[in-house]
Amino acid sequence: MAIDVGTLLQILFWGLYAGCIYILLATGVNLIFGVMKTVNFAHGELLMIGAYVTWTLFSLTGLNPYLLLVATVPVLLLFGIAVQRLAFRPVLGSHKLNEIFLSIGLIYLFQNGAAMIWGSDYQSIQSPFASMAVTIGSFRLPLDYVIIIAVTIGILVGLQLLLRRTRLGLALRATSQNRKAAMLSGINVERMDMIAFGLGAALAGAAGTLWVVSGQVFDPYMGSVPAVKAFAIVILGGLGSIPGAIIGGLFYGVAESAATYTLGGAWKDAISFIVLIVVLVIRPTGLFGERGE
Amino acid sequence: MNAKYLILIAGLVLAAALVAGCTTQTAQPAALKLGVVSSMTGPASTTGRDMWQSAQLAADEINAKGGVFVKSLGNNVTIALVQGDDESTREGGQKVVTKMIADDKVDALIGGFSSAVVTAHQSAVAENGVPYIITGASSPTITRRTDINTSTMFHHCPTTDDYGAKTIQFVDEIMRPAINAKFGRPADQPLRMAVIYQDSPYGKGVLSAVNDTIAKNGLPIDIVASESYKMGETDFRAILTSVKAKNPDVVYPAAFLNEQVPMMTQARRDVGLNTIFLAVECNDDADYYKGLGQYGDYSIIESRFSPYTVPKGPISANVEKYQKDYAAKFNTSPGMMGAATYEGVYVAAAAAQQAGSTGRAALVTALGSVQVPEMIESMENGTISFENTFRESKSNLYMEQLHWDPATQTLRPKIVWPAALKETEFQIPDWYRPGSV
Repeated sequence: MAIDVGTLLQILFWGLYAGCIYILLATGVNLIFGVMKTVNFAHGELLMIGAYVTWTLFSLTGLNPYLLLVATVPVLLLFGIAVQRLAFRPVLGSHKLNEIFLSIGLIYLFQNGAAMIWGSDYQSIQSPFASMAVTIGSFRLPLDYVIIIAVTIGILVGLQLLLRRTRLGLALRATSQNRKAAMLSGINVERMDMIAFGLGAALAGAAGTLWVVSGQVFDPYMGSVPAVKAFAIVILGGLGSIPGAIIGGLFYGVAESAATYTLGGAWKDAISFIVLIVVLVIRPTGLFGERGE
Repeated sequence: MNAKYLILIAGLVLAAALVAGCTTQTAQPAALKLGVVSSMTGPASTTGRDMWQSAQLAADEINAKGGVFVKSLGNNVTIALVQGDDESTREGGQKVVTKMIADDKVDALIGGFSSAVVTAHQSAVAENGVPYIITGASSPTITRRTDINTSTMFHHCPTTDDYGAKTIQFVDEIMRPAINAKFGRPADQPLRMAVIYQDSPYGKGVLSAVNDTIAKNGLPIDIVASESYKMGETDFRAILTSVKAKNPDVVYPAAFLNEQVPMMTQARRDVGLNTIFLAVECNDDADYYKGLGQYGDYSIIESRFSPYTVPKGPISANVEKYQKDYAAKFNTSPGMMGAATYEGVYVAAAAAQQAGSTGRAALVTALGSVQVPEMIESMENGTISFENTFRESKSNLYMEQLHWDPATQTLRPKIVWPAALKETEFQIPDWYRPGSV
């Protein structure tokens, strides 16, 4: 199959865009898992709630939806903290099955709650930059996707600074590395759990906003598929590894896009999981995972 | 003392509950009990709600006129609807259909959207011999499959074969000559068509109908791309980039509403695929027009009922009344799947009257020969009836072209085919780029 360079770059670009959404989701899952050692299966629903919060704020204010990130992210941060405090903390440390079934239960709670509040019809938002594009030679990049990639980079840099350059980040990393030692050194690990969950939810909220402005439709049931992919990315990149989530997310986005172009859309999901199986057979801890995690 | 009061209160509550239970049982009137299979939750809930609401409207109308006369009961019975939410999934459909048959003991079923979902719960219907008027699943296999007994199932919805063939006929008769003429191409130059289809019985059915119609009639239409995608997909950019590279003159997606809207938006907005898109009739819903906005300008949709246009002819007044009544009752515009479901309730009522019974077997027999005058969808021979072989009703289909009005910021359809119903000519926009010149 002969592919011209322009088409190839276009496919790569769509993969990068999809990868951005996956990275934000997978990084959130990893952050929560790293600190709490809990897998939140309802993480895709946090993306969905982020999308609806953006849509609601957009409907009320008419503001540029990108600016609404400033509001959506804190709302999801607080929402995540509340979910951790009210739902996860009571079962934390009990049997792992309790945590798993709790988060599965939350999927239905969030989906039905969203359907009750916002209705089950699909919704969409039109970006103010919808008709704008950056042209590089014969290569046309819609402005929205350039912004989405830039915003994702910005969020990841901000997260990295928070984790590496602040006392809070140090405390989060310490809790992630050794919970008991962190507790003995005076870190309030329960507070770290809440903050990690809140940050994970905030990242999912940001992904929701970016999903919305990219012209994707959304409804209360849209979170499941991105969440499954985020978990696969986390396993691919290595549990608890944020660089792994970033590399895994990009790899997934590009692999999906390339598979869709070359093999057809029916292979989009399959190819990602084929890659996952291959990686796990060769390196069971994932690309960046540590033995024992 | 407190314990005594508690026992007394508990006794009173129990007695009240028993009395209420007895009262409910003795006061229950005779009714024709219809289970409405619709996706009230999940991705297809927009269509599902339309189907349920239209069934409610029909039942209310029939009940307001005194119900249905059932000879064996010697009086009129009302229509009682039972809502069956299939959750837009195969498993949800199996669960709720079994419940409606076994627990609710419905006399007949109506509705069913998505061929994949309906196919999954047909076994339960067949095993119990329940009459089922299917109004929203368009795969022809629905009443033609041989692995189960489908003799109690009646298909009141054009099949993918029906509308695939009509759409290709329109493309060959109207679009191909217009595109060739506008771009100075030879009159016999084949049209380059790309098909993007949902990987399901519905999507594959449309692709098969397109290929069969072209082959059977030797039409000068080349299928330059046929790309599949998983049901529920919303990111079509890579598929559209692939399709664009094949230089199609027209793109025919076999998609649901929540898929077709992002697909067309991404095609025009992101990929720069400036071509004319076709759409399957199930998309003819108010949400489709709202969701597409200006990106639907000049696109084509095959239809038999539209929320925003009334075809000329004997059913015009009925359609207008239905649109008005539906909007008044539900504060929204009706969609296509609801229209067939609305008629389905009337057909079930007519069958009960003809059978003189609400028994399942009697209803099946009556449905086989029932003749209901066409209502809000134009039918072949002017009646809703089911042919004997596969128990399918046959509708008259038409094609609409959508136009964006910048002043009102609305997208609205005009019928462009067939000639008998035509409101305006098919138009090719200035931004349109043909596959090859």
